[in-house]
Amino acid sequence: MRMVLRPGPDDLKLIGFYLGKVLLGLGLIMLIPAVVALFAGETNAAITFVIGASLCLIVAGLSEATLATSRPLTWAHGMVIVAVAWLAGAVFAAVPFILSGRFDTPLAAVFEAMSALTTTGMSVIHDLDHTPLSFDFYRHLLQFAGGQGIVIVVLSLFVSGGAHAGTLYAAEARDERILPNFIRTARFIFAVAATFLVIGTTALFGALMLAGFTSSRALYHAINLFFASFDTGGFSPMQASMAYYHSFGVELIVMVLMIAGTLSFGLHFALWRGDPKNLLRHLETRTLTATTSVFFVALTAGLVLAGTYDSASAVFRKGFFTLISAVSSSGHQVNVGVTYLTDWGVLAPAALVGAMAIGGMASSTAGGIKAIRIGIVFKTLTHDIRRILLPESALTVTTYTTGRRQVLRDATARSAMTVLLLFIVTYLLGTVAALAYGRYDLTEALFEAVSVGSNIGVSIGVVDPLMPQGLMAVYTVMMWLGRLEFVAVFALIGYVIAIARGRTHA
Amino acid sequence: MNTAMVRLLLVPVAILAGVLSLAWWLALSAPVVERDVSLDVEPPYFESVPRCSGEMNDPVAASLRNQFAVNGMVRSQQLFNCPRAFDGFTVRYVGEIIGELIPRRGGVWVQVNDDAYALTDGPLLGHRNFSGFNTGVAVWLPDGTHEQLQTVGRHQVRGDIIAITGTFLRADPNDGGGLTIRASTVEVMADGVLLDDPLNRRQLTVAVLLFSGAAVALTAGQLARRRR
Repeated sequence: MRMVLRPGPDDLKLIGFYLGKVLLGLGLIMLIPAVVALFAGETNAAITFVIGASLCLIVAGLSEATLATSRPLTWAHGMVIVAVAWLAGAVFAAVPFILSGRFDTPLAAVFEAMSALTTTGMSVIHDLDHTPLSFDFYRHLLQFAGGQGIVIVVLSLFVSGGAHAGTLYAAEARDERILPNFIRTARFIFAVAATFLVIGTTALFGALMLAGFTSSRALYHAINLFFASFDTGGFSPMQASMAYYHSFGVELIVMVLMIAGTLSFGLHFALWRGDPKNLLRHLETRTLTATTSVFFVALTAGLVLAGTYDSASAVFRKGFFTLISAVSSSGHQVNVGVTYLTDWGVLAPAALVGAMAIGGMASSTAGGIKAIRIGIVFKTLTHDIRRILLPESALTVTTYTTGRRQVLRDATARSAMTVLLLFIVTYLLGTVAALAYGRYDLTEALFEAVSVGSNIGVSIGVVDPLMPQGLMAVYTVMMWLGRLEFVAVFALIGYVIAIARGRTHA
Repeated sequence: MNTAMVRLLLVPVAILAGVLSLAWWLALSAPVVERDVSLDVEPPYFESVPRCSGEMNDPVAASLRNQFAVNGMVRSQQLFNCPRAFDGFTVRYVGEIIGELIPRRGGVWVQVNDDAYALTDGPLLGHRNFSGFNTGVAVWLPDGTHEQLQTVGRHQVRGDIIAITGTFLRADPNDGGGLTIRASTVEVMADGVLLDDPLNRRQLTVAVLLFSGAAVALTAGQLARRRR
């Protein structure tokens, strides 16, 4: 058996140094809502952001002063940094939440922060509808930071040169390198988001003005909705979520932004360069189109059988919107959560569960198993069937297109299968955890577990500020696992085991 | 595992625990404001409504429909638990207008919440009576019914409390299938209330101290970086 080397103090210092950089970024992010709060006359809210930012900046300053090391960053370091950064980031980001007095336990605040950063969009906030504007802005801003990949966003701003940041980029479940340099890739992702920010916010502002909102309120809702839609987060400034607006125009723009958010950045790059054919050939586009079509047929059939809606426009605005919200992993709601149980019959919620499990595209802001893995698993199955049917001497080669034509290899298939299985196991464990409390039925438990594990955010009502704390803790871990697609978290566990049992460095 | 490594591993755990503890201590020290904004609201027609199955011919929904009386008082949670039981009925509903009045041709849309923050404890400001999510229903107020409304609920504002009589629609065709009440009469039960949000002096003091500490730590970090 190969011996594992025990990480030394220098390794831990290096990890701490990079975590300090991430907290520096998070601290600066918290200062933005502090400014908004001061402009809005929300002094107490401003104080909470200053406290949160100061704690981040103190740790960042001390790590810069004491932990700097010349050791190079390895893949193991990168994985551990990313896994810990998302945990520590959620704890530090929870500080303004705790101070706001809108969460009844520290765990609830950490849950909210993890949900925001992982763009899950499940919320456990009490009395959202009376929340300060700046506080709401902060929730949505966290989704934006998380959706872009907070570690790589921070490093693209504070680290020069990109070679050693590649491991962090991949560890954050962004395995598609669009440009030769990772930092340039991160900056391209930022440029895409900035472009959509301007276009999307302007479009939403116009639609909200047409829907009867005043200009100041339209701007407030437009910015927050953009963050929650493009970064497939799903938070909303109001508890009623998208149903609050009563506007088909707003719903359409949000749908476009959700779809844009679920496209991989590689496809954005292809579209950016004027290569739309790439979009049509791409395995993920085809898989997502096929699965979404199947789920839409099932969902429509379910709604018709249950007699939920009696018009095509209602099926589109309530059914199709929710499906896009699920596929894109946004989690925007146009229905009250419990009505999926009490007004949607059985088949329609089942179709939603399937759509949520698959989620969006890899290397996007979306969550879930991801269409690329479903496509590869399907290709692997058809490949194996062909091999059985053809003569033994025949050479079977299966290809697929993801930007360029690639041969399906065993390692790729195994990797896709492994992650798919891990997601399924996570969904099942989350379901069992909810069932163990004895107050949720199987439909509720499974629906919510898939939604949380895939970082979707469409809720059937299990996630609630008054839910059991143990289940809240389980869901928090599930969001973390789902966002990092397991690998970085497993690397962290391996690292801790290596510290405990590994051999010391030579 | 040697003790030095254990210490190194415990540092981040201690930092995270310390951050959470400090924040929680500060949250608990927020000033409490005594105020009474509770209202006497008539009880709902049904004491409780079980969750229906969502199927077309659900027997529970049918049974509730047979028992319900026109103009009966309802709560939003009851409407959500079994929308088919009340679909098309004239109902009475009481709650706080929240967010904004959204004007459209012939009337306005408004969200009307009937949770504890609206009717009993008031908005979550100056107290720690946690009651969960906001719950409410979208209400269409035709012209001639909404002009008397003055104050919508927001941060530091408990909005007007209104009593509505109107038709409950499980899937309103004029709202893309939304769950709504189309009001025919509106009565203001209580005017909106502006709420104090007194300065949290303890949090302010800690913020000043920590901000100073952050400035020192960042300066130390910059100096160390220049020396390297």
